[in-house]
Amino acid sequence: MVPIDAALKALAEPRRREILRLVWSREMPATAIADHFREVTRPAVSQHLGVLKTAGLVTERRDGTRRLYRARPDEIEKVRAFLDDYWTSGLERLRDVAEAAEREKGRP
Amino acid sequence: MAELVHEIMIEATPETIWPFLTDAEKHLEWEGTKVELDPRPGGVYRVLVGGEHQSAGEFVEIVPMEKVVFTFGWEQDGNPITPGSTTVEITLHPEGDKTRVRLVHTGLPDANAVSQHREGWGHYLDRLSVRASGGDPGPDRLPGS
Repeated sequence: MVPIDAALKALAEPRRREILRLVWSREMPATAIADHFREVTRPAVSQHLGVLKTAGLVTERRDGTRRLYRARPDEIEKVRAFLDDYWTSGLERLRDVAEAAEREKGRP
Repeated sequence: MAELVHEIMIEATPETIWPFLTDAEKHLEWEGTKVELDPRPGGVYRVLVGGEHQSAGEFVEIVPMEKVVFTFGWEQDGNPITPGSTTVEITLHPEGDKTRVRLVHTGLPDANAVSQHREGWGHYLDRLSVRASGGDPGPDRLPGS
């Protein structure tokens, strides 16, 4: 189970979302991921990978000196389900304000 | 292409609900920190969420008290759901003294076929981050943050 707070925090950074897209369907070494970002330093990419790993959104595997990363779609699916719930909450807020307005109208 | 469908029953008439969808001041009461709405075909739809994430689109169809359709996307570098690239349709169905509100978001890349449509996940993830920054205090409780 993804700790939702950690996942949300991890996903709030555009580059981490881009990293997730990179490693969505294939495992990639950290160096190749870093090469993808011209404007981001390797330590920064490494830090992003650490956040994603801590949040449970990617797995890390060591192969010699290389570190390989891959997304965990099953875990991310749970996050998507969470998002679905969150959208539902938007409509619930609409309901709350509309029902309050309706009651207001009913008063003399 | 995928779609998302949400429905909710509201104990209010369509006449009461309608302004919350089309009037910027009313919209602020339930969604957005800055809202710009011009509810006529081609009119602007802009809702700033969480103070920094800008959703944007255009109204497509307006049937007062019944239906509002607008295009939708995010003004954010790298976000695959660009302004106007998807469509949201909200319809109001009166049932007695209540109203069933149905929201259908279409044109989303298929989330199930992620290998072909990974941008679909980009959308969900981007939306998630929007919501995450929309006042949910949870993320700040992270260990190590």
